[in-house]
Amino acid sequence: MSKSKAGLLQGTLDMLILKALSLGALHGYGIGQRIAQISDDTLKIEEGSLYPGLYRLERRGWIESEWDVSDNNQRAKFYKLTRSGRKQLILEEQNWERLAGATMKALRAS
Amino acid sequence: MSRIKATVQFFHAWRHPDQIALEVEEELQFHIAKRTLANIENGMTPTEAQLAARQSFGHFHQIKTECCEIRRDLPFDARPIRMGIYIAIAVVAGGTALWAVNIPHHNVSAILWQLVAIAVLARAFFAGRRNKNPHCY
Repeated sequence: MSKSKAGLLQGTLDMLILKALSLGALHGYGIGQRIAQISDDTLKIEEGSLYPGLYRLERRGWIESEWDVSDNNQRAKFYKLTRSGRKQLILEEQNWERLAGATMKALRAS
Repeated sequence: MSRIKATVQFFHAWRHPDQIALEVEEELQFHIAKRTLANIENGMTPTEAQLAARQSFGHFHQIKTECCEIRRDLPFDARPIRMGIYIAIAVVAGGTALWAVNIPHHNVSAILWQLVAIAVLARAFFAGRRNKNPHCY
């Protein structure tokens, strides 16, 4: 079965970044890889667009960053979820479930 | 705590814009280097791999500029502060107008003060109206 690449709805990127970071600290490249991995390669993020998203989330205090050394001994900026980011993720998941449920209900209506 | 950190980062970004630009560039270059390595592992030549990595990344300078601008943004919604400043200006201008009204009108400076007060009030009013447009924020 061929997989079509799904485009991201506006606002979904933030939730996906928070979800990827809920599994542990990562650098930007790693976040993109993790999102692809947890979505079974269905969701592909435009690589460059990830960074403004990361900076916005950091500004809101939902994630924080720290420079460290990566697995190939290169200096890299690692992001991790803050406590308020974790709360935000729960809120966004609930909103998403509600929206997805309502959309499915609308589609099934005859 | 992270809000405080974001505020500290905001002041740091304003004081050291060059350092922030370098940090952003280093972070984005790291991404491209990782993507290049992954492309080489997938069988591309180093030149092809780097070209493909840059293409899949997008407009490097545009993204870098956007990231730097976000770092220099206030870490909170500035609209209430801006509105407070407009109200303060309007109060001062209104007070000045009232004070000028009580001065005899043959005094030229009083008339000038009234004109200035009206101009400031009008400026504050129209600035406030312009900020109601969500696209300007």
